Amino acid sequence: MKKIFFYSLFLLCAVSATAQFKKAELQASGLTCSMCSNAINKALKTLPFIETVKTDLNKNQFDISFKNGAEVDFDAMRRKVENAGFSVASLWVYTAFSNQKIKNEESVAFGGVKLRFINVKEQMLNGEHKIKVVDKNFVLAKELKKYTLSKAVAGANQQRVYHVTI
Amino acid sequence: MTKLLIIIIFILSGTLLQSQELYIVTEPASNMATGSFGVRLTNRLMKMEPDGKYDYRLEPEMMFGISKHLMVHANLYASNMFQKQFRFEGAGLYAKYRFLSIDDVHSHFRMAAFGKITVINNPNAISHTEIHDMGGGVIHEEEHRYYSNEIELDGNNSGFNTGIVATQLFHKLAVSGSASYTNRWKNSSRPKESGLTNRAVNYSFSAGYLLLPREYKNYDQTNLNLYVEFLGAAGLDRKGYFIDAVPAIQFIFNSISRLDLAYRTQISGNTLRFNKSSWLLRFEYNFLNVFGKNK
Repeated sequence: MKKIFFYSLFLLCAVSATAQFKKAELQASGLTCSMCSNAINKALKTLPFIETVKTDLNKNQFDISFKNGAEVDFDAMRRKVENAGFSVASLWVYTAFSNQKIKNEESVAFGGVKLRFINVKEQMLNGEHKIKVVDKNFVLAKELKKYTLSKAVAGANQQRVYHVTI
Repeated sequence: MTKLLIIIIFILSGTLLQSQELYIVTEPASNMATGSFGVRLTNRLMKMEPDGKYDYRLEPEMMFGISKHLMVHANLYASNMFQKQFRFEGAGLYAKYRFLSIDDVHSHFRMAAFGKITVINNPNAISHTEIHDMGGGVIHEEEHRYYSNEIELDGNNSGFNTGIVATQLFHKLAVSGSASYTNRWKNSSRPKESGLTNRAVNYSFSAGYLLLPREYKNYDQTNLNLYVEFLGAAGLDRKGYFIDAVPAIQFIFNSISRLDLAYRTQISGNTLRFNKSSWLLRFEYNFLNVFGKNK
């Protein structure tokens, strides 16, 4: 019995380890200067789940890699950008699925959160995919109008639901 | 004057690569990062109206990014403007609250409300002794007292200033404008002086742009920014106005510190002032994520 318990624990760990966000591309808005960009760069680096941040200063894009096994919090990333005095223009995150069926307006659990796909066709996802978070304050105000966001229903264990698209 | 402004805006909008809003003699509507702390050392060399000589003022300043909406500056002032010796003059407190922020990828529009209070212990007038050689060994000493109708809250006067600032960053141009009200208080431990301006309106217009680098590669590149700012004031209880122009150059080092050099000069006015032109040299260093939740 004990053995089975350990095996299943091991299996769970392995599954949750693979179903993790590995990296993201965040574009910030409202700035052009390197001093401003540096404030965002240094603020993002204070987050415990962030491994590295590489910046494209001309695009204000931050290529972020996450630590292995760490729980990634997009809201915390957004708050860091906002506290530096700016906004998130776009956030693309990388997922890795194996035979995951997705449907419009249906949620999939991944990396400790729920991803609710919108504006997508029914399809099967395999391997690495770049998806875009389209919740309020993760896209520009004028772009937000393109998406119809449902009142996201949190999962039984109060998982955060992010609206995403491909 | 209006024509000059329009021409400057036109030239700037036509030729700028990128703009900057780290203004020298005004503050933009944007705030410093939450949890960051900055220090500034400002040196001013002021050409004094009474004797045409240059006096020196030193202004140490601390800056705090309290939240994404609120930032605070604390200033100290010391100079040899009112006497031969260099002495401590007083302190100031400045706060700015950003209440509107509309961001796009390379642009934004922001508005903020600000206020400043200063407590200064300078005399109300500058005493200047003129020595006249009357001939035949007769020396005549004449003491003049110079007054100023400018309410100057950067070391000269106690008082407060409060207003609104709006900053628009376009892809290639950032402009900022402010309007504020200034009230002079009597300088601490000095008698109240009658006959001077006690209430004034102030306004400003600022523009700046990034000259170098042409293209960003990393945070270590030194940036070179050029600015032009205009500061205006008009007395409310006593008629009188002035408009100053401030061309400035700024270096940003390692995206964390900056060096400003500016020349301020009156381009129009009819107000009694202690000085109508000055030089400014400032060094600023920022410490990011040092307090609060962003630590």
